[in-house]
Amino acid sequence: MATAATAAGHGAGKMGSLDPLNAPPVLKIYDPPKELEREPLVLNNRSLGWITDTIAGICEKPMPAWWWPAFIFSAGGMMMMFSLVAYLISTGVGVWGLNQPADWAWDITNFVFWIGIGHAGTLISAVLFLLRQKWRTSINRSAEAMTLFAVACAGIFPVVHTGRVWFALYPGFLIPVPNANAIWPQFLSPLLWDVFAVSTYGTVSLLFWYVGLIPDLATLRDRAKTLLRKFGYGLFALGWTNSNRHWSNYEKAYLIFAGLSTPLVLSVHSIVSFDFAVSQVPGWHTTIFPPYFVAGAIFSGFGMVLTLLIPLRSLFNLHDIITKRHIELMCKVILATGSIVGYAYGMEFFIAWYGGSPYELYAFKNRAFGPYAWAYWSMITCNVISPHLFWSRTLRMTPIIVWCVSIVVNIGMWFERFVIIVTSLHRDYLPSSWGYFTPTWVDVFTFVGSFGLFMTLFLLFIRFLPAIAISEVKAVTPQADPHHPQGGAKGRH
Amino acid sequence: MKTIPPPCPEPEVGPKYWRSLDQLAEKPEFRQWMEREFQAGASLAPEGEARRDWIKLMSASFMLAGLGGFATGCRRPEEHLTPFAKQPEGYVHGKAQHYATAMPTRGSAVALVAKSHDGRPVKLEGNGLLPGSNGGTDAFTQASLLNLYDPDRAYRHTKAGADVKIEAVRDLLTETGRKFAANGGEGLIFLAERSSSPTRARLQEELAQKFPKSKWFVHEAVDFAVSNQALSVLYGADVQPDYQLENARRILSLDCDFLGTEAEAYRLIRGYAKGRKPAKDAMNRLYAVESLMTITGGNADHRLRVRPTDVVRVAAQVGVAVLELLNEGGELASTLKSLSAGTPANPQWVAACAKDLVSQKGNAVVLAGYTQPLAVHLIAHALNQVLKAVGPVVSVIKSSEARNDGTIADCVSALQAGADALIILGGNPVYDAPADLDFSAAARKAKTVIRWGYYEDETSQMASWNLSATHFLESWGDARTANGTVVPIQPLIEPLFAGLTDIELLARLAGIDKPLPLDLVKTTFGTDEAAWRRFLHDGFQEGSAPKSLEASTAQLGKATTLLAAYRAPASSDFDVVLHRGASVDDGRFNNNGWQQEAPDPITKVTWENVILVSIATARELGIADAANASDGQYRQPVLKIALGNRVVEGPVWVQPGLADKTIGLALGYGRKVTGRVGRGSGFDAFPLFLKDSRHIATGAKVSKVAGRRLVAVTQEHGLMEGRPVIREANLAQFEAKPDFAKHMDLEAHFPHYVPFKAESDGRNVDKRPQNIYEHPYDQNPSTVSKIHQWGMVIDLTSCVGCNACVVACQSENNIPIVGKDQVARGREMHWMRIDRYYSHDPKSELGSDAAAEDPQMAVQPMLCQHCESAPCESVCPVNATVHDDEGLNVMAYNRCIGTRYCANNCPYKVRRFNFFDYNKRETDYASAQSQHFFNFGNLYKGPFGQNRNEAPEWEIVKLVRNPDVSVRMRGVMEKCSFCVQRVEQAKISRKVEVGNSGDVAVRDGDIRTACQQACPAEAITFGNVLDPESAVSKLKHDPRNYSVLGFLDTRPRVTYLARIRNPNTEIVDAKIEGRSGPDSLRDYERHRHENPFESGHGDAHGEQKHSATPVQKGAA
Repeated sequence: MATAATAAGHGAGKMGSLDPLNAPPVLKIYDPPKELEREPLVLNNRSLGWITDTIAGICEKPMPAWWWPAFIFSAGGMMMMFSLVAYLISTGVGVWGLNQPADWAWDITNFVFWIGIGHAGTLISAVLFLLRQKWRTSINRSAEAMTLFAVACAGIFPVVHTGRVWFALYPGFLIPVPNANAIWPQFLSPLLWDVFAVSTYGTVSLLFWYVGLIPDLATLRDRAKTLLRKFGYGLFALGWTNSNRHWSNYEKAYLIFAGLSTPLVLSVHSIVSFDFAVSQVPGWHTTIFPPYFVAGAIFSGFGMVLTLLIPLRSLFNLHDIITKRHIELMCKVILATGSIVGYAYGMEFFIAWYGGSPYELYAFKNRAFGPYAWAYWSMITCNVISPHLFWSRTLRMTPIIVWCVSIVVNIGMWFERFVIIVTSLHRDYLPSSWGYFTPTWVDVFTFVGSFGLFMTLFLLFIRFLPAIAISEVKAVTPQADPHHPQGGAKGRH
Repeated sequence: MKTIPPPCPEPEVGPKYWRSLDQLAEKPEFRQWMEREFQAGASLAPEGEARRDWIKLMSASFMLAGLGGFATGCRRPEEHLTPFAKQPEGYVHGKAQHYATAMPTRGSAVALVAKSHDGRPVKLEGNGLLPGSNGGTDAFTQASLLNLYDPDRAYRHTKAGADVKIEAVRDLLTETGRKFAANGGEGLIFLAERSSSPTRARLQEELAQKFPKSKWFVHEAVDFAVSNQALSVLYGADVQPDYQLENARRILSLDCDFLGTEAEAYRLIRGYAKGRKPAKDAMNRLYAVESLMTITGGNADHRLRVRPTDVVRVAAQVGVAVLELLNEGGELASTLKSLSAGTPANPQWVAACAKDLVSQKGNAVVLAGYTQPLAVHLIAHALNQVLKAVGPVVSVIKSSEARNDGTIADCVSALQAGADALIILGGNPVYDAPADLDFSAAARKAKTVIRWGYYEDETSQMASWNLSATHFLESWGDARTANGTVVPIQPLIEPLFAGLTDIELLARLAGIDKPLPLDLVKTTFGTDEAAWRRFLHDGFQEGSAPKSLEASTAQLGKATTLLAAYRAPASSDFDVVLHRGASVDDGRFNNNGWQQEAPDPITKVTWENVILVSIATARELGIADAANASDGQYRQPVLKIALGNRVVEGPVWVQPGLADKTIGLALGYGRKVTGRVGRGSGFDAFPLFLKDSRHIATGAKVSKVAGRRLVAVTQEHGLMEGRPVIREANLAQFEAKPDFAKHMDLEAHFPHYVPFKAESDGRNVDKRPQNIYEHPYDQNPSTVSKIHQWGMVIDLTSCVGCNACVVACQSENNIPIVGKDQVARGREMHWMRIDRYYSHDPKSELGSDAAAEDPQMAVQPMLCQHCESAPCESVCPVNATVHDDEGLNVMAYNRCIGTRYCANNCPYKVRRFNFFDYNKRETDYASAQSQHFFNFGNLYKGPFGQNRNEAPEWEIVKLVRNPDVSVRMRGVMEKCSFCVQRVEQAKISRKVEVGNSGDVAVRDGDIRTACQQACPAEAITFGNVLDPESAVSKLKHDPRNYSVLGFLDTRPRVTYLARIRNPNTEIVDAKIEGRSGPDSLRDYERHRHENPFESGHGDAHGEQKHSATPVQKGAA
């Protein structure tokens, strides 16, 4: 990774000394060798300096006009959510539409939905890193930020959905601490596994994201024009001096975190799926859940990445860094995971029939043709049918279509969790206890408000932090490749 | 700052207190002295040595002040432990005491044992000492406890709306008595509820002597006395029947819901269940001819659905057939023949039924329902005579009720003739008198209306004097049970609101000086002190029941004459049946939250009444879709029922099994003046209750009205969907294969059946499949008790679904009332529920729709199954629900954080979550649905709402709580605990009893759970499954024993005995051909393509076919 270091070094170190007036606006182009005839990851032969200026510029210049209304609107949503949570905690869980038999509904649906969204970030930053998928560099920073914010949204729901939140957070109940009563949490409960899985995932994702930020924070510190910015970024840049030793440690740490995060990508959603798979509710008690949940999570996560990045790319003119090729590649991931999800839906039905349990079979028949058929078929339309548009390259290359599909995918994935949770619960073993769940306005607006929280955090993120990993993008430019005609320390730039 | 204490308020009346003679004299010096903050010398600055002292003193006092202030701020409110000045006999603090008492009912009483904690009655149970009683009661009795602590009961005596003291009331009564003594009671009219009290009868006699011109009328809206009247016709004397149904082998019910809303239903259930043990020639058979779908019809082996006006025709038709078979022709037969003209019943059905009744002559009984006219009762009693039921099944005893001068209709005519004073003893005639009598207008003609009642209700509004009545737990009294046994009513608590008993009221009128109710009762009883003490202790007077009359004294001739004169009503348009509300009676339980929330046993509707119509009628009216509420919210169309110009409007409910063109309306709802609980519940059906037609009105017009109304039900789905939740068979099938229930559902298909490992220790006697996980008890055997392992068996053949257990459980376990809005949202809190399933054979020739009109019904009490391998326990992240060493699945409320995962994972859906602080809910508008988008109805609104818990009325509501059971806050999951408090008490008592001998195993039968205790059918058995001799162990070995959803291997400790029906093989039920087994069984066969009676099915996979496999050998 020495090349990356060099490239980043150029960006952070040398840029300042160049005379921008005399620098050639566009570099001279040599034809790359045949093996490098791929479309470059940064288009238009943008120079390293341009990359730094463009990305760092987003958080240095005042925010464009649309940012403030967007922020106020999102913050309003966030405040609404927190108010409703306060109402919920002060009055009782009954302000939601939950009942017997649907003791979980939108709460856990939202939890799984947000956790699922979080998956794309870690997958992009860790798994694709280990697989040497260099195209990840343009999107990994914002995807990881999205992960963290999604986990923050996800974390709220399982906490506040409990009847007595104050005890849920009290050490000794869920958090295993030795206490005088010698009562431990129930380690057999998937909900407890959730606590560990999600908190581990959140912590590792945060550290991974932060470690990746350090060189860019140093860049921002060095470019800072006010003392406050210098201090702020400097504090979090941890004294980064761009030395070889720093780079060496950094690369090692980054690799370790990538290694740590990779199993988490698989484990978190597997464990979340255990909430259902370990139970004996027909429709939940399914061994296919772990792989199918992970695929679904990646599916929805990439959907959300596209939902966020396609507008971001246009609004900040990042077409050269986040190229159509990036979008297309993500569409392919969506197509692949969407197909896995579709296969899983089919396989669930097959097993329900093949397994021979009439209770299981009924649960699936009821899903497709019962009172919640509308939800099931919405899910099928969104998740199984819509991704198949991406077999067409033209559609993959049309951002507006991709953006629309990405939203449809997320709607579909929300419905998937709703269908799994509510249609299974509302009619289980004893017909006498069958019921129906209808959300209340508090359910609806709490969920809507969680998007406010998510967007608030994301808007603050693009306001204050480099939304794209500057150092990493520079490492994948042709200039950073010593074998590239434009690359290496050849003194041509 | 100078603080002037506010002047101490002086009482306006009463003695004045003074500090000194100066104050008394109001001298100015004294006033000045009073108003000075510091007394003389206090404001002089100290000098010299004293300065130091002063500073010392001041610092010390500042410190003390600080400390004191701090300490005072932290102190708990001061409480005083006041020892008894005189220790009551046998009192141990914290230990409950039990007293025998009784609840008076219409002309009868329920003998009770009341449990009292620190002078506060908290639970009512039937008196098991009474001969023939098993301690069972009905739901009304269980709920009557809540009435005692009802903050809306009449808590004051009023005169023209203004409060008066009880002394004034006493004066009034004495005065009234004196006044009428002068004119012999001219213009004095009594209107009373029925009563069986010997003391009251005695006082009534005294009054009659003292006021010979006074009149005494009796009014009950739902009056069960029609049966007595019919019997009295036969016997020419004032008699009443008393049934020993345990001796009946064949029972024909003529619109008689004797298992549900009929008088003394709990006693009849007991007899019925005793006679329903599945064995050849020992099991009774029940035929029901009925118009509404009732518990009785649902439990019947054969049910004939006819319009209410046709019941008399069918009764006559059966009568003719019976008389023919007995070769007893004569005038009765010909009269009946003409009465039976136009009968809708299938002659084959009637012939087979009659033949069956005659074949069991001497053990066959015919019962007629209170809604039916006298003619039907005459036929029923006449048939009982010819079937020789009088004696073995029916005892005819002299009526113990005092004489009266007529009904409310006579009362109204007497009032219209002019009256000085009308004294209303109980009841609520303004609300429930026949509408065409216009009672309130007539009553207003009386110069004074004195009303003694338990509530301030519709009648109170027109009364000039309202006297607050005592609850039976507050008053001395006596009563007679249905067979005439005298039982005491003894108070357990001082009257909470200085109420008055009826006997004191009558005694004062009669001019008895200082009548203490206790003395009045004692006077009636006699002077034998030892007998009196025994009377109070046992709760009944032995041998006080009158002798049964000889059957031969009956004269059928009089009945025949009456029947010949009777013209059966012609049905036109719609027939309306006005029946007793299964939850609120005739309105007397209208303000009782437990009863309001107890679902109707058939419809499962709570908090209101509905207009019941049949499927075909609904289709005719264009509202057939009303039965279909796929979104879980029953927004029912509204119907208008018009009888002439009298109109009733209410939400419709499509009820399978109801007769066509028949409307069922429950009485007791739609009260205009009631307490906060009952307000807004249901609609008033009394406008259609007329003096001639009473319970059955004909010629009603029905039309649809715009709009829909939300109806709250506890069970939304009524079909078993082919799932063998309730396993049933006909008697013949059962005899061919007694253990058929074990060969149903998926457990019949498991590849390896191995005897349960722990069979020797008796934990589970069923043969079980092996789980891939180790049984939790095998993981850590040392923690498993070798003394007690609790288990329960529920006999589905005995259980009729009467709700007594549901309300008993609510009373015992402090289960909150949630209100209509919450029930509609599916959040009822009952730990015990009765699941009611219909089944019909869709393969029958008539097609599923028509078959659904005549469904079979089965009920199943469902409560926490206390699974050994409990699915709820492993998913609770905080270990709040765990197993104890005696096999109970226990809830640690303090530990629960309310994730509700346990409820999701419970296959029986018996866990209940406190979505709100239901125990702090407002009583207001409990029955009204939430009127507003932002309004969650009647709930505690947290810090955003007013905390009604601070209202003083809550102090009285709290008193009903059982101190042995904690009251749960919101956010906590709860469920049946097997009455762990009773288990623990029994264990402690046993330990105390046996001392050091170490034999601490509780004797079988010492623990009775609340549901078991209340069950009149003895369908529930609880006990130690480790003891092979215990009743529960024996039942667990019954071949009918099965676990619901046994294939899940949750190993429930609650198991069920399969339900056995006993149909007449000669009968093809109603119009449905080929009903060879219970419909639910046929439905199961259709869904699963298998039959537990096919040879070898189910048992084949394990024990027989594979018995030689190595697995089997190894396991054995």
